[in-house]
Amino acid sequence: MIEAVEVSSPMKAHGNGTKVLDKVKLNAGKGQLLTPVGEKSRQYDAHPDSHHPADADLRLGACTEDGLQVNVVEVSSLGKTYPGGTEALRDVSFSIERGRIFCLLGRNGAGKTTLLRILATQLQPSTGRATIFGLDISREAEKARTRIAVLPQEARPQMMLSAFDHVRMMCLIRGMPRAEATRRANQILEQFDLWEHRNKVCADLSGGMRQRVLLCMALIADPELLFLDEPTIGLDPLGRRQVWAAVRRLAKAGTTVLLTTHYMDEAEHLADNLAIIEKGKVAFLGTVDEAKDVAGVGMRMIVEPLVNGGQREVLHPSSNEEILKIVERSVREGLKVTFQPPSLEEAFINIVGGSIDDEAQ
Amino acid sequence: MKLNEVLYIGLWDSLPFLRDPTLFVILSGIAFFPVLFLALFTGSAALPALVGAAVMSLAFLGLNVAQSVYYNKHWFRFQDILVASPVSALSYALGLSLSSLIGSTPALVLSFSILIYYVPIAPLNFLAVVAIAALMWLGLVFIGYTIGLSVKNTRKANSLPQILGFLLGFLPPVYYPLSLLPASLRPIAMLVPTTEAAQLAKYYFGLLPTSLSSTEILVSWAYLLGFVALMALITARKAHWVDP
Repeated sequence: MIEAVEVSSPMKAHGNGTKVLDKVKLNAGKGQLLTPVGEKSRQYDAHPDSHHPADADLRLGACTEDGLQVNVVEVSSLGKTYPGGTEALRDVSFSIERGRIFCLLGRNGAGKTTLLRILATQLQPSTGRATIFGLDISREAEKARTRIAVLPQEARPQMMLSAFDHVRMMCLIRGMPRAEATRRANQILEQFDLWEHRNKVCADLSGGMRQRVLLCMALIADPELLFLDEPTIGLDPLGRRQVWAAVRRLAKAGTTVLLTTHYMDEAEHLADNLAIIEKGKVAFLGTVDEAKDVAGVGMRMIVEPLVNGGQREVLHPSSNEEILKIVERSVREGLKVTFQPPSLEEAFINIVGGSIDDEAQ
Repeated sequence: MKLNEVLYIGLWDSLPFLRDPTLFVILSGIAFFPVLFLALFTGSAALPALVGAAVMSLAFLGLNVAQSVYYNKHWFRFQDILVASPVSALSYALGLSLSSLIGSTPALVLSFSILIYYVPIAPLNFLAVVAIAALMWLGLVFIGYTIGLSVKNTRKANSLPQILGFLLGFLPPVYYPLSLLPASLRPIAMLVPTTEAAQLAKYYFGLLPTSLSSTEILVSWAYLLGFVALMALITARKAHWVDP
């Protein structure tokens, strides 16, 4: 379950006008439609070096009896403004439990990749705080990096090198002995159905195979936390399912996965939890089902004649009684009824699309 | 920083041209092409030109670090993969620099072999020339880093090192004698670090028409060291392992 980090009063105002977190509490908030997009954001100065009581609370996190930290990722009031002045993220807070698959959804330029890059220690945050495994990503990045791996967006393999070269070299660079690197490379290439293509240069591989080579490079280190930035872009349906299966396997083995995607079916298939990012803010935080509930997307019934030519009705029944009535009428009149479960795509459009209307107003 | 990381990153970056002998020969041969022409048209100019080639053989590929830095950051996203791993920034930087050494070492060995065969040189002087070539390589590696870190498009990442290679290697009197330039242009030419390096290397091989005074030698070394230090400083200001 997602635990949304909620900022609670009182807040102190600094002499320079910036507000400082005085207290942060971890609040179990299921399926929250968070701060409406367009609402003026609050500016918090939660500097990594600050020593607020909240820091200690966040660092402790929630641990199981065997000492394993439940929340692998903790993000609190995170913000990013690029040196050019573009504000990419504002006041983002969430946490991810161990072994969960967390999807970041959002339109192009919403801030998904910025958020992922900050958490993968590739980009400095401007405000707020984030920890992975209880380690501050700004101050303790080196320690954190031994436990993570990333597949960046639009990464490409070296066309003149083979699949085996890529995976084995990555093993060697990450410090594996040569024999172990060869064994591990062979093992993972086999796992991703690349064994028979292992000696082909990447220029001769299909787009899906190249993407799988890159995924293998990220997975060879057996990371505890894996960042995947649009990992299935450009893959055919079979290739996508292979990646999904691999991600599911990893999560089952205890790896925490944070992935960004544009594909709603991917999120629907994979996400234990998701965040919808819109204009740099978290517009929704929860599960797929909660997203559908919050967005008010219910079951759709399509009523149409058995043969083509008649009028087609799309109905949104609000109760079981109403469903029963529609079915009875359809049987009586000899009509065909199709039940269409709500999709995440509709929920996404409802949540994100609302902001388009807001903007228009 | 771990030595293994440096070696394997260097190998990773140089594997594509190590696997392609044609590319390897062309890359390491860049520094030699002017020597070939000078030898064909004026045989006597070949040896001083070969000194220029020895100085520039490392430097040309040092400049090509710009492409390695750019492509690994923006095209392959290899840098992002390595940032989110235990690999250190220093290992990465040294690895890419090492890659340029791997590519240019055969050219350096060849030019030195021919030179030593034709021009006897004292071991200490030979070491001085190797140090000059190494300084030029280092200086141009730093320039390469600065370019690679600054450019935002592929076209510039490819063209800038080539243009700079021409401006630093072929235009100033590195291959040809300084005396060929009009007297008024010579002081300006000497401001170019590669000219300074070539003059100094030619002096150690005894191929300059007039010898250099000890003050001139000292000034030349100080100039080369200052150039490398300045380039290192500029690169350090530009370089970010974690993006700001």
